[in-house]
Amino acid sequence: MTPDSDNQPVMLFRDVAKVYPLPAGDVRALDGVSFQVDRGEFISVMGPSGSGKSTLLNLMGCLDTPTEGDIYISGTRIGDMTDMELTALRRDRIGFIFQYFNLFPLLNIIENVTFPMMLKSQNAVDPERGKEVLRAVQLDEKLFTHTPTELSGGQQQRVAIARALINNPDILLCDEPTGNLDSKTGAGIMELMTDLNRKGTTIIMVTHDPHIAEYSRRTILIADGRIVS
Amino acid sequence: MIFWEIAKRNIRLHFLRSTLAMLGIVIGVVAIASMGILGNSMVSMVSDSLSSVGDSVIVTPYAGGGGTHGLGGGTSAQNLKITDQQFQQIKRAVAPGVAIPVLSTSERMKVGVGKDDIVATVYGIDPQYLPDLNLKLISGSLNNGNSGCLVGSEFAKDNNIKVGSRISMGTDGSKGTLRVTGIIEERGMSFDVSTDNAVLATQDWFDNTYSRDDYDEVVVKVKSGQDTADVKTIIEKQLNKRDKIVSVIDSKATLATIYQTFGAITTFVTAIGGISMVVAGVSIFNIMMMSVNERVKEIGIMRSIGTQKKEVMSMFVYEAAIIGVIGSVVGGILSLVAGYGISALMLNSTKYLFTFATALSVAEGVGFGIVVCLACGLYPAWQAANLNPIDALRHE
Repeated sequence: MTPDSDNQPVMLFRDVAKVYPLPAGDVRALDGVSFQVDRGEFISVMGPSGSGKSTLLNLMGCLDTPTEGDIYISGTRIGDMTDMELTALRRDRIGFIFQYFNLFPLLNIIENVTFPMMLKSQNAVDPERGKEVLRAVQLDEKLFTHTPTELSGGQQQRVAIARALINNPDILLCDEPTGNLDSKTGAGIMELMTDLNRKGTTIIMVTHDPHIAEYSRRTILIADGRIVS
Repeated sequence: MIFWEIAKRNIRLHFLRSTLAMLGIVIGVVAIASMGILGNSMVSMVSDSLSSVGDSVIVTPYAGGGGTHGLGGGTSAQNLKITDQQFQQIKRAVAPGVAIPVLSTSERMKVGVGKDDIVATVYGIDPQYLPDLNLKLISGSLNNGNSGCLVGSEFAKDNNIKVGSRISMGTDGSKGTLRVTGIIEERGMSFDVSTDNAVLATQDWFDNTYSRDDYDEVVVKVKSGQDTADVKTIIEKQLNKRDKIVSVIDSKATLATIYQTFGAITTFVTAIGGISMVVAGVSIFNIMMMSVNERVKEIGIMRSIGTQKKEVMSMFVYEAAIIGVIGSVVGGILSLVAGYGISALMLNSTKYLFTFATALSVAEGVGFGIVVCLACGLYPAWQAANLNPIDALRHE
């Protein structure tokens, strides 16, 4: 992050389009999408199936690049970046939270949480940092050395949130974070995320559940590849 | 290194599958290395039995296109002899090398009273040349006198002969009696005189007994500074000027041909062993592809949270390397056991096992095993690294 990056939007989309060339003809999954996310915001992205939510999520997560328009992450334009640069950007500036938790079954909880840190430092890391983040997401300390399969869904999602936070990312990108949890556990996770946002974490959450979207402070509604509100 | 750790844990998780893959490599390494060990042992064995005659040039009468002549047998046609005049020519031509005239025949003989007749080769060699033939005795002395003789160790063992034993030559002793003065150490295969199953009498005794004034062969022992190939050329130039009257064998060149042949056989059988390594490689490739296909989603997660392609690739290469190194090292150890067994069974000797050539064969087998594993793990690793993270994340 550059010294000026604090003054810039965390994410900026300018006339972004994504076109998938198919034998039957080009499909414009996103068309003329422009929005900006400022530091400390909590935004939910909503829309029906096929509206372009997943495409938008892939572009926001730097897993894909736009066909037209520009995307800036903390002032850095991603359109011309190499795969290696995009990967490093994902590692250092974006935290991912998935619907199905997606923890690594071969690693224990501490190793799962510190995994992105190891990618960044290329060395062994201090497990204390992992424990610190796990305590912040309110995971029972007795579970730190367990494997993911020994944890409940809610506990696994807390670990996933801790993993997403470990490298102090600019944005936390969540894809249906409560979609695989019961309502009570889901509410607990949303309260945790609200708490993280209150402490300054920028969160963008893709969801189709209006109750979950209520936790956010702003909602982007998308339909047919365009932002409608 | 987290990716090394993940590779280790994945192998532990799929222990049976990984063990079977290692078993393939073990078999491949054992096949290659043990065949190499066997081949090297054979070469060493032949080398041991032939090296003592590597300084010889053997001159025998030329038998013509379709004729035959034995290197030690006395069954060739009567006119296929080397005359004394020819011998003198050879002697002068090869100086300072030593030309040794050799007479030989097959003869009936009896050892001890009441025993059956046996047939063996009898050589007639002037005792002055015996030191040049480099014969080593296990008992007795080289000084065999006119009615004395030396016998080969195998001949002595088969007929229970000791120093001082008497051998009745000819049917019913018609050719007199020879007293054994020494027993010659086993020499194995040789180009000059094959002593292991023979009797070495003096030239005088042989001349008197068989009324001979010519020779069956001449063995030339070269001196240091002389080359067997040069000596062979000189003899051929001197004696085969007009017509070819003698055949000249350069034992060193023949040895080289024999080693070359054994080397080719070793390479061939090792290559056959290599087929099992190829099969093992296919199995590794298959297992690595399975591993990649099972972990597509995991790869997608890794890539999405910031794992570089080369890091994903390293994880699978480590996995192939672990299987390759463990399988190859175990194979290397077992190939020594297999080499020991095969050598004992086929060559009746294991004394050639612990040599540099054996270590080299094992190292080659182990190295080849590791290289095959890495090579077969590379493509699956590359494929894993180049998965589209979006598609990989969607994979169920």
